[in-house]
Amino acid sequence: MDLALQLLFTGIGIGAVYALVALGFVLIFRATNVVNFAQGEFSMVAAYLMVVFAVDLGWPYWLSFLLALAGMALLGVIFNLGVYYPLRHRTFLPVIIATIGASILLANSVLAIYGPQPQVLQGWFETPGIQLGPVYLDSQYLLIIAVTFALVIFNYWFFEKTLLGKKLQATSQDKEMASLLGISVSTMIMITFIYSAVLGGLAGILVAPVLFVSIQMGSTIALKAFAATIIGGFGDVAGAIIGGLALGVIETFGAAYISVPYKDGFAFLVLVAFLIFRPQGIFGERVAEKA
Amino acid sequence: MMPLLEIRNLVVRYGEIEALRGVTIAVEEGQVVTLLGANGAGKSTTLRAISGLAKPASGDILYDGKPIAGLGPEAIVRMGISHVPEGRRVFPGLTVKENIMLGASNRRVATSQLSREADAMFDLFPDIRAFSNALGWTLSGGQLQMVAVARGLMAKPRLLLLDEPSLGLAPVIVQAVFRIISQIRQDTTVLLVEQNARMGLSVADHGFVLETGRIVLGGKPDELWGNEAIAAAYLGGHAKVSA
Repeated sequence: MDLALQLLFTGIGIGAVYALVALGFVLIFRATNVVNFAQGEFSMVAAYLMVVFAVDLGWPYWLSFLLALAGMALLGVIFNLGVYYPLRHRTFLPVIIATIGASILLANSVLAIYGPQPQVLQGWFETPGIQLGPVYLDSQYLLIIAVTFALVIFNYWFFEKTLLGKKLQATSQDKEMASLLGISVSTMIMITFIYSAVLGGLAGILVAPVLFVSIQMGSTIALKAFAATIIGGFGDVAGAIIGGLALGVIETFGAAYISVPYKDGFAFLVLVAFLIFRPQGIFGERVAEKA
Repeated sequence: MMPLLEIRNLVVRYGEIEALRGVTIAVEEGQVVTLLGANGAGKSTTLRAISGLAKPASGDILYDGKPIAGLGPEAIVRMGISHVPEGRRVFPGLTVKENIMLGASNRRVATSQLSREADAMFDLFPDIRAFSNALGWTLSGGQLQMVAVARGLMAKPRLLLLDEPSLGLAPVIVQAVFRIISQIRQDTTVLLVEQNARMGLSVADHGFVLETGRIVLGGKPDELWGNEAIAAAYLGGHAKVSA
């Protein structure tokens, strides 16, 4: 039982990272109808930005963190203008290919600068963790869970309670109608890319001390996050978060009780099971989008 | 007097297909002008060209004397032309009130003010007041039409473009929609597209008949009713009807 609680904590921690990246997937998908295959690379680039600022330059963590997020916002702008915008009137296929191309470009640019050996980023806190009854709460996992929880609340408030959020929703539901009302569709999509790049970046920065900072970390996180969006119900915001958390818990338990080498396999086993038995995901397709 | 909207020799193509082949119409300020015609005659395309959704291949669109052909929809609605497109296009995942509030996206208004204006809109559309917090996809066709028109009016347009407001609605709802149009006309110029010629002309000061991308006839409603060939072809069979 103690072990189960410990695993649940770790699972939710790693699942929260998947949830943040999955949220980025879903928001871009809803705004542009395209899956952004470079979403995982956002996490990788942000983790390397942290290495640049906090390790190579030795700047304080909080400053490095803010600079890394600002860098991600800028990457979101460049990505929107360079990858999506020129192809926005085309079908989804050229855009998807372009995101794959951007993903390869980002990964290889970082490879050219840092080489293949993984970098190490220290945790945020001096104290490695606290013992709470039978469960040891690692401080970095606590931070990941707290930030994700705060972001989920922020996300809800932003999309449901602000006029800008409503305009973003309107744009994702019917771009032509949004433009007829005077909503600047290209601005809304720009905001979506910036927000998604920052979300993906946050996930990468938070998880970096837990994993190694490597070129591959982007694709590993993105594959899990993609699986999470399918498990949750593709295009559904709540589904992406629940799916991400569920996937983190499942793979952590699978690794502990069944087999460590097959840890990554469990995520995809669950994914395949969902594709066969419940392809619409936990939350199904929202009626709102069919009407 | 200069018309509020003047379209001259407007040509719009969709690929190889010429949807409009030289359309010329004028809409005077304060009028309701109805554009009649069969399916595919180019009625909706005319409205789409005015609101910037369709790019004209040639011809002029003058609004308040200024050329607007080729501008984007966001710029055009800011100039005061609001387009309620065919199919209502109410955002399915937003509530009725949110839909209506977003209608003012062409103006800079504080959110609290928007909320008050949206509430005031329910005075004109009492039938949808009770559904203020209902999501768009849950509404009936008539309710959707009311929301679409209310949203269009939130732009505070000088010119309102209405595309087939009666389509697919029960007769009693159609009458309610047209009652609203006759209320709107007191402060807004309306360009109305209709297949339902009887209703369309009943509120109009002027009518045009479109046929395969060209205007074949224009005039006051009673002149249109008087033209037997036109009455037979577009205005509902051979029976002589008085406007």
